[in-house]
Amino acid sequence: MTTILWDTNGTEIVKTLAAERRTAGALASGLALTLVVIADEKHVDEAREAATQAAAAHPCRLLVVVRRKVDADDRLDAEVQVGGQMGANESVVMRMYGRLTLHAESVVLPLLASDAPVVTWWHGDTPEKLAYDALAVQASRRVTDVSTAEDPLAALRQRAKDYAPGDTDLAWTRCTPWRALLASGLDDVAAVPTSAEVMAEPKNASAALLAGWLTARLGVKVKQVPSRGPGITGAEVRFGRNDVLRIDRPDGYLATLSRTGMSDRQLPLKRRSLGDLLAEELRRLDADQPYADALSAVTGDKGLDGRPAKREHVWRDPMRPAARRTAGKSATKSTAKKRTTTTKAKKTTAKKPAKTTASRSSGRGRRS
Amino acid sequence: MTASYPPLRDLPEHETGDRPNPLRDVRDRRLPRVPGPCALVVFGVTGDLARKKLIPAVYDLANRGLLPPGFALLGFARRDWGDGDFEALAREAAEKGSRTGFREDVWQRLSDSIRFIPGSFDDDNAFDTLASTLVEMEESHGIQGNAAFYLSIPPAMFPVVLKQMQRTRMADNTERGGWRRVVVEKPFGHDLASGRALNELVDEVFTPQDVFRIDHYLGKETVQNLLALRFANTLFEPVWNGNYVDSVQITMAEDVGIGTRAGFYDSAGAARDVLQNHVLQLMALTAMEEPATFDAEAIRTEKVKVLGAISLPGTMEHYAVRGQYDQGWLGGMRVPSYLDEENVPKESTTETYAAVRLGVETRRWAGVPFYLRTGKRLPRRVTEIAVVFKKAPHLPFAATDTEELGNNQLVVRVQPDEGITMRFGSKVPGSSMEVRDVSMDFLYGEAFTESSPEAYERLLLDVLIGDATLFPRNEEVELSWGVIDPLEDFWAGTKPELYRAGEWGPKCSDDMLARDGRVWRRP
Repeated sequence: MTTILWDTNGTEIVKTLAAERRTAGALASGLALTLVVIADEKHVDEAREAATQAAAAHPCRLLVVVRRKVDADDRLDAEVQVGGQMGANESVVMRMYGRLTLHAESVVLPLLASDAPVVTWWHGDTPEKLAYDALAVQASRRVTDVSTAEDPLAALRQRAKDYAPGDTDLAWTRCTPWRALLASGLDDVAAVPTSAEVMAEPKNASAALLAGWLTARLGVKVKQVPSRGPGITGAEVRFGRNDVLRIDRPDGYLATLSRTGMSDRQLPLKRRSLGDLLAEELRRLDADQPYADALSAVTGDKGLDGRPAKREHVWRDPMRPAARRTAGKSATKSTAKKRTTTTKAKKTTAKKPAKTTASRSSGRGRRS
Repeated sequence: MTASYPPLRDLPEHETGDRPNPLRDVRDRRLPRVPGPCALVVFGVTGDLARKKLIPAVYDLANRGLLPPGFALLGFARRDWGDGDFEALAREAAEKGSRTGFREDVWQRLSDSIRFIPGSFDDDNAFDTLASTLVEMEESHGIQGNAAFYLSIPPAMFPVVLKQMQRTRMADNTERGGWRRVVVEKPFGHDLASGRALNELVDEVFTPQDVFRIDHYLGKETVQNLLALRFANTLFEPVWNGNYVDSVQITMAEDVGIGTRAGFYDSAGAARDVLQNHVLQLMALTAMEEPATFDAEAIRTEKVKVLGAISLPGTMEHYAVRGQYDQGWLGGMRVPSYLDEENVPKESTTETYAAVRLGVETRRWAGVPFYLRTGKRLPRRVTEIAVVFKKAPHLPFAATDTEELGNNQLVVRVQPDEGITMRFGSKVPGSSMEVRDVSMDFLYGEAFTESSPEAYERLLLDVLIGDATLFPRNEEVELSWGVIDPLEDFWAGTKPELYRAGEWGPKCSDDMLARDGRVWRRP
C-alpha cells in the first residue's frame, strides 16, 4: 500500500510508516539494513527499481531522498510504501525543497532501522567531498558511481582524495567478474607474472580500477590500451617465459578465455544491471581494502586504508559560492570545526542562524 | 579489521614456496571460491537424485560463476542415448530445478562441456571410453587430470563400479598428475559390518582423504550456523551444558510417504535411513566440544569424540520406540497406509517412525537426555534442534502467576524457514502479574541480503575445492552404526506400533517422554 503525504514533516512519516507496517503485519520482521538512496527526480524510478531488485527476497528499508530546488519554500513531500510491489520491503521516497534539502538528515535519522547497518548510495551527482552530505556521515557503507560523472577518471581521482574506509564505487563492482576470471585463470600457474594489459574504451573508470588492482596485486606495470568498447573489452596477464592469459570480450556479452597451452574457452560475461551491482555491494558491509589498494594504485594517493573510517560533517551552503570556495580550499587540511567558524565569520551580513552543522530540527522556517 | 595482510610480492622468495596465486587475497571477499580446473563424473546420471539435485546444482554453480573455466560434466548411465538426448534431459532438469533462474547463455556454455557415456557398469568398453574421454577432455576442456566421481547409484553397484575404476586406473591420483576424488551418498551400509566393508572397499580404491561422504543436511546453512551460534558468541556457550540444559529434542519430520523408494525403504526403515546419518550428525554438532580450529580435521575429531560417547538407554523397551503409518488424512488428502504403498510386502514390520532417548557420557552432558525422533507422514516437513533449559530454581511469583510458563527453549530450525527461535517467559499486559511463554525469532531470509545456497550446491563446490569440513569421516559412520545396531537388534522380530498418517507419531513415543515427565515440542 502506498500513502502519499503532502507538505508533511519527519514525525508524520515515522508515524505513517509504523502504521503501514502494522497493517501489513510486518511488525515482527527484521530488517537487514537501511539503504539510503540520493537521487535526482528523473532517476528515482531507476534507483528504486535497482534497490528493489538488489534487496529482492530480503526486507530492507529503502529511503530515497530527492533534493529539489534549494531556492524554494521549505517543504517535504513523502511517499510511504510497505509490501505490495516492493515485495517484503518498505520504501519511503522523500522530496525536499528549500533549505530543508541541506538538512535531509533531520528527516532521515529517525527513519533508520534500529542498530542495522546504513548504506548510502548516490545515484548520480555525488558531492565533491562526501562529508559535505550529512547522509554520508551516518552511513557505515557509502556507494558512489564515478561512471555517471562527465569525466569519470577525474571523479575517480577525487574519490581517492576523499576516500575513507567503507567507501566503494560501482565502477569497482563492475570489474568483479573480470577479476574473478583472471584470478581463476592464474590459480594453477606457478610462474611469475611479468606484465599485464587492460583494453577498454577511453576514460573508463572500471578499466582503470582493474588495471590498478592488477598493479597492486602483481607488482608489474599494467598498460591501458584504448579500444572501442563497450566498457572493458579485454585483459591479459603475461607470465613466465612469455606465456599469456587473455580474456577478450568484444561485444559486452560473451568472453573468450585463452591461455598458452590450453584450448580457448567461451564464457558468458555479461555487463550487469544496476540492481545486480547494488546486490553485490550490499552483500558485504565491511571496508573493502582491495578497492582501496586498487584506487591507490590508480591515483598514487597513499595510505588510503589507514584513514579514519568516520567522517565528520562539513557544512557547506551551495547558495554561498564565496563560502564554498573557502571551504573547498581549507577542506584538505582543516577540520570540520574550523570550517564552521569560517562560515560563521562570513555570515555577519546574512541573517543565517548560527546553528549550521547537522541541525536536528526539521529545517522549517530557516530559509535564508 | 585489525590484522593486516601484506601483499604477496612483499614476502621473501622462500615464503612463497609453492607460489600462491598473486591475484588471490584473503581480504578480497568479492572474489568467489572457485575450484581449479576439473571434471565431475556422475554415475547414475539419469537417476532421480541426479536430475532433481545434482544437475540443477551444477547449473546454479555455473550461473553464479563458481565453476572454473576448465570444467567438464560427464554423465554415465545405462541408457542408449547420444549426447543430444542426454543434453535435452539435463537441460530439462536444470530448467526445472535451478534456484537462480534459467539463462540460455549460461546453459549454452555449460552444455558445451557436458558429455554422456552410455554403458552398463560391467561393460569394460564403456569404462575404457570414459577413461579415454577424461584424457581427451584434459586437452579440449583444460580439466588437467582433476576429476571427482559422484556415485549416484545403489550401494550394491559400488563394488562393480569401483573395481572398474581400479582397472582403468581412473581413481589413481598419480596417474594423470591431478587429484581424483569420489563422492558417496548414503546409505553408508546397513549395519556396522556392511558399513565397514563399504568403507574398506572405497578406501582401497581411493585414498581415504579423497573420499567424500555426502550428508546433505550438513550443507544447510543453519547447520553450519550452529557452530557459529555456539562458538562465535558469548551468550550461549556458558549455558550449553547439563547445569542449565534439561533435555535436547531433535526432530526430523517428513509429511511425504515413501514414494517410489519401497524397495530400498522396506529393507532399511526410518532408523537406518535417517537416524543413523542426518539425526546423529545433528546431535554430534549440538553436543560436541569446541574444535581447536575451524578446519575439517579439528571439527571431525570433535564429532568423533561425541559419537563415541553416546550411550543407549538401559531399558530399551521404554526408550526406543518405533511406529508405522496407517492410513489417514494429511493436508486435506486421504493417504494410504504404509502396507498399502506400492511394492511394500503386506506383512512388513519396517518402521516409518523411530524415536529414541540417548545420553552423552561426558562431563558437559552427563544426565541430559537427547530425544531423537524421525518419521514419515507426520503433519508437516520440519527439521529442528530444540535445546530445552531447566526451569528457574526459584520463582518469586505466586504459583498461579506462572502457570503458563514453560521451560526456556532455544530452537534451531534447520528447515523450512531456516532460523533460530528463543522461547522465554514474559509478563502478560494488564494489571495482574501473569507470566507466559513468548517467542523471539531470527529468520535467515530476513537478516541477510544473500539467499542460502542449496545444500548440494555448497557440497559439490566443497568437493571440487577439496574442503572436507562438511563431510563425515568413515570413523563417524562406523560409530553411528554402533548406536543404531543395538536398536535394530532390539527391534528385530517386533512389530512397530501403528500411528495415523497426519499425526505426530505413535502413542508410545508420547509415553516415552511422559515417563520422564516431559512432552514433545510441537515443531
